[in-house]
Amino acid sequence: MATDFPLLSLLLFTPLAGALLCLVAGTVNTSNVRWVALVTAGAVLILSLVLCLIQTPTAGWLLYEDYSWIEAFGIRYTLGLDGLSSILILLTAFLQVLAVLVSWQQKRAPAIFFALLLILETAAIGVLLALDMILFYLFWELLLIPMFFLIGVWGYQRRFYAAVKFFLFTLIGSLCLLLAVISLYLLHGDQTGTYTFALEALKQTELSATQELVFFLCFMAAFVVKVPLFPFHSWLPDAHAEGPAAGSVDLAGLLLKTGVYGMIRFAFPLFPDAARNAMPILALLALVGLFYAAWVAFQQIDIKRIVAYSSISHMGFVILGLAAWNQTAWEGSVLLMVNHAVTTAGLFAVVAMIQQRTGTRNLDQLGGLWKSHPNMSAFFLLFCMASLGLPGLANFAGEILILIGVFAVKPLWAIVAVAGVLFSAVYTLRLVQETLWGNNCEPHDKQDLVSREWIILIPLAVLVVLLGCYPQPVLDLLREPVSSLLMSGGLP
Amino acid sequence: MDILLTLILLLPLAGGVINACFGNRMPRPAPVFIASGAVIGSFLACLGSFTVAAGEGYRLVLFTWLKSGDFQADIGLLYDPLAAIMALMVTGVASLIHLYAAGYMEDDPDQVRFFALLNLFVFAMLTIVLADNLLLLFLGWEGVGFCSYGLIGFWYRKTENADAGRKAFIVTRTGDLFFTVALLWLFAIFGTVSIEGINAGVADLDLTTATVISLLLLFGACGKSAQVPLMSWLPDAMAGPTPVSALIHAATMVTAGVYLLCRLFPLVSLSPLALAVIALIGIATAFYAATCALAQNEIKRVLAYSTMSQVGYMFLAVGLGSVSAAMFHLLTHAFFKALLFMTAGCLINLAGHENDIRRMGGMRQRSPLVFWLFIAGLLCLAGAPLTSGFFSKDLILATAFAHGDPFHLGLYGLGVATAALTSLYCFRLAYLVFAGDFRGEELPHEPNSLMLWPLYPLAIIGLGAGLLNLPHLFAGGSWLSGWLDRSQDVLHLSLNTEYLLIAAAVAVFVLGWLVAGLRYRKYTEHQPSLVSRFLLSGWRVDNVFDVLLVQPFRNIGRFCSQGVEIGLIEGILNGAARGCTDLGSRLRGFADGKVSAYLQGLVWGFVLIIGWFLLRALI
Amino acid sequence: MIVPMEHLLILATLLFALGLGCVLVRRNLIMILIGVEIMINSVGLVLVGASAFWQQVDGQIMVLILMAITAAEVAIGLALVVYLHQQKKSIDVGIFDEMRG
Repeated sequence: MATDFPLLSLLLFTPLAGALLCLVAGTVNTSNVRWVALVTAGAVLILSLVLCLIQTPTAGWLLYEDYSWIEAFGIRYTLGLDGLSSILILLTAFLQVLAVLVSWQQKRAPAIFFALLLILETAAIGVLLALDMILFYLFWELLLIPMFFLIGVWGYQRRFYAAVKFFLFTLIGSLCLLLAVISLYLLHGDQTGTYTFALEALKQTELSATQELVFFLCFMAAFVVKVPLFPFHSWLPDAHAEGPAAGSVDLAGLLLKTGVYGMIRFAFPLFPDAARNAMPILALLALVGLFYAAWVAFQQIDIKRIVAYSSISHMGFVILGLAAWNQTAWEGSVLLMVNHAVTTAGLFAVVAMIQQRTGTRNLDQLGGLWKSHPNMSAFFLLFCMASLGLPGLANFAGEILILIGVFAVKPLWAIVAVAGVLFSAVYTLRLVQETLWGNNCEPHDKQDLVSREWIILIPLAVLVVLLGCYPQPVLDLLREPVSSLLMSGGLP
Repeated sequence: MDILLTLILLLPLAGGVINACFGNRMPRPAPVFIASGAVIGSFLACLGSFTVAAGEGYRLVLFTWLKSGDFQADIGLLYDPLAAIMALMVTGVASLIHLYAAGYMEDDPDQVRFFALLNLFVFAMLTIVLADNLLLLFLGWEGVGFCSYGLIGFWYRKTENADAGRKAFIVTRTGDLFFTVALLWLFAIFGTVSIEGINAGVADLDLTTATVISLLLLFGACGKSAQVPLMSWLPDAMAGPTPVSALIHAATMVTAGVYLLCRLFPLVSLSPLALAVIALIGIATAFYAATCALAQNEIKRVLAYSTMSQVGYMFLAVGLGSVSAAMFHLLTHAFFKALLFMTAGCLINLAGHENDIRRMGGMRQRSPLVFWLFIAGLLCLAGAPLTSGFFSKDLILATAFAHGDPFHLGLYGLGVATAALTSLYCFRLAYLVFAGDFRGEELPHEPNSLMLWPLYPLAIIGLGAGLLNLPHLFAGGSWLSGWLDRSQDVLHLSLNTEYLLIAAAVAVFVLGWLVAGLRYRKYTEHQPSLVSRFLLSGWRVDNVFDVLLVQPFRNIGRFCSQGVEIGLIEGILNGAARGCTDLGSRLRGFADGKVSAYLQGLVWGFVLIIGWFLLRALI
Repeated sequence: MIVPMEHLLILATLLFALGLGCVLVRRNLIMILIGVEIMINSVGLVLVGASAFWQQVDGQIMVLILMAITAAEVAIGLALVVYLHQQKKSIDVGIFDEMRG
């Protein structure tokens, strides 16, 4: 289905226009900038919500745009929207509104800060829409730049170290991706005579087993670092710990998701045989990461690092679901990805509030916050419980689907993964214990939640409950896209 | 009818959510009214819909919770005789405990949080009871775990309380792992998680699978029901407020494991081996906990161990294949144990917030009323003839005896021995608390009337609940067995055997009483012996777990975060980074800033290139 | 052609070598610049000679461009030298080592 009106481009470039507007408005009056950013992000949210609501769960692209761009190299401007991307775009847009709200008090160069946030949103939406490999790569790299500055300029003490580490890790992965894309393009051109970067065309390329493996590994290098999968995760805790609150929300909510999206949209369908052969290794890394990250999380004393490691642990779960390679597990993986984004965004938001009130994120100096800030603590408890997989809250729905899907294929993987749920309980309860309970912290700021914070936390809390009790709308949207992606990869 | 059934679940949920969200904005008594009203409403709904459950029961699907691929889990209720009687007990006891709690928590500033969690607990417990599929049951299963966590650590300012809550959560969650695996496995075999679907399909299951799944379910049940080896959380859980101990850690949540096994009894009963293991775990726990209860000094810990012991009897009943015996003991135990805990709460108040029975004594003078209520509960627990506990315990032991083979006779023997211990610790408690003069210094803190009057109905039901399943010998009709459609559980023993069994039960009761009377009638201060210290610490199980599980977990964690994360991964990364900078600083040496050196380099390079081409051309 | 090509090439090579030597040996910035000029001119000489040898005009055009570039280069070079002299009161290359890594 293709309408005349370029809705997707509108969706894609609204944040960019908003970013420019921010910069312009910033020269006049810096306090208006946040309103510009909020209105833009809100507009994108409404637009993506409409896109989600108007679609019926059918196969194929709901919206599709295809324009010639750089003819000489066969690069086209191709965007496509299906259930999978619309869910993730909705998530992106939602979290971006929260990210703006979370950084409402940003004092330092707010115009540039909000402009970067909006550019990040454009890049994330672009990654989720692009169907031309070069266009995809462009947005993929564009993700890095705003994030680099957000961490490097607006972060905490070791921000520059964290930013450079983040940049180097992801850049090395991306370069592998670029190399593979170009080689694939040349190979496909040699075989068919038409040089194109279109995803659908490249899927038809004839590849030898070795070629397929090498390409697959190059693609995965980019995606695995972004996810991040053990042992390529080392940048994430630093980036989270040193980044500003909005940066953490975006990292957990947007950036990590693009890695998984890249796998299921590009890496697996392009190289199905190599992918299926690599599944046991992927599953092994996922399982190791699941436990390893939980153990490391248990030893941390910085709240943000604990949440960061819990992210790694949960993303291990997601990847395990992908490795099972069936409908239930994949739907569970995407669902868990969405749920994890909401939960973790909530956690980071509350952590920012805790830090603002107590001036520390160190567990040794925290404790007994329920006494002074019951409302804030209640939200924190809710998000923690969702994070440890309490049924009826967000994460459980995804986890159980993954476990069911995995058990159908490899019971042993599932049984091992179940133990991971216990581990997440251990470190999450420690986190709750040493922040909320006990008696050893006198925060300098006794103010419980202010209205802006209520506005941030209530939608998150509602979503956490809703996604846990009634995830069906999301699953309905995912059904057809996931099954067609599985088919294009060939069911085992 | 649908509305009534929905209300059973919805009322406590609504009460909990309303209190959690808006409780703090409401004037003081409103949250208590909402919470108690919700549970009482739920109880009335249970009562009103009770008859629907007869026979095959009643099904109600509200909406689809999760559906993906072949997997489907509904929010659906299965209201059959088993669920109905359990729901009635849960809501009934919970209603009384809510009223009691309204008095008990009157002055607590955090009342709202307490009642919100208590309501949510009732909702989660009812979800376990009514769920028509295992996933929904699991929602309730974890939900009660969370509420229990929140309520044990309710007075969170003391770190020990919060620690106890965390321990309860983690230990029960260990059990839940097994339950989860069983759930996954059952779905993989049957393609459904519906309880009816699974029970209907078990006939085709091969024995090994049935055994393994049953054992997985058993371990799941062990976690929640504090059975060996996952029992150590229950005594610590007494850190919570007394109504919580009464509701969660005596009457309802700890029996959820028994209920689960009864719910899936067609599956569990397939495997004789699994049944034997269930019976063994049951009797082992019953005996272990009874020995521990002998040496405890805190009134609530004695009761906690006795709960563990009685739940062990229920497991034994399930292992003997008698669902009605298990449910019978579950129901009677719920009534008299709730009574005991709540009366204990009154006693603690009367003793001036003193938990320690060594510093009580003479409590009968402080309040004869509470004395009689507590004795009523204790008599049931100890199995005094004609009380409810007597009938339900006797049914279990008789069932074991009726099997006749050495294994089951052994179980019977241990069961009787445990019954003697039960009687002994009950009367030890009674003598220490009530006999002699008050040994503490605190002034009494009178329990208010709201705390007292829910105890009367409980005392009456507790004493009289034996009527539910009165055996033929006492001119009863075994109503419960009939209601649950378990006529095979009704025993048909010869009259002589029956008299013999009853005589044995009465004899151990009297024996326990006599020994306790000799030993504890007069309180003497003495150093605890080695044995009693061992029993006091619960056979040092906590130390064993600490060495076997907790320390290794910490050590691996330290190894991961110090060794692997910082040492290995960061080491490799920093090594690579340092390699790059080292190389850079070496190369720096070449750029010395001297123009002439650069020019020389230029020339020599040029010469080399020319030379290379000349060489190529010549050869 | 009156002068044989070989002679021309030899002369150009000699000039180039002299220029190179001057550049390498002298420490005076101006002398280095002069050395560069000599090297450029030797290239120009080859271009002119080649142009005459093959009867093609390209070489002469190249030389014209070369002269224009040389002029520009000298202008900039001398300006830099003057500037550097103002900075350090010396035009000895040895003391300009700010580009040291």
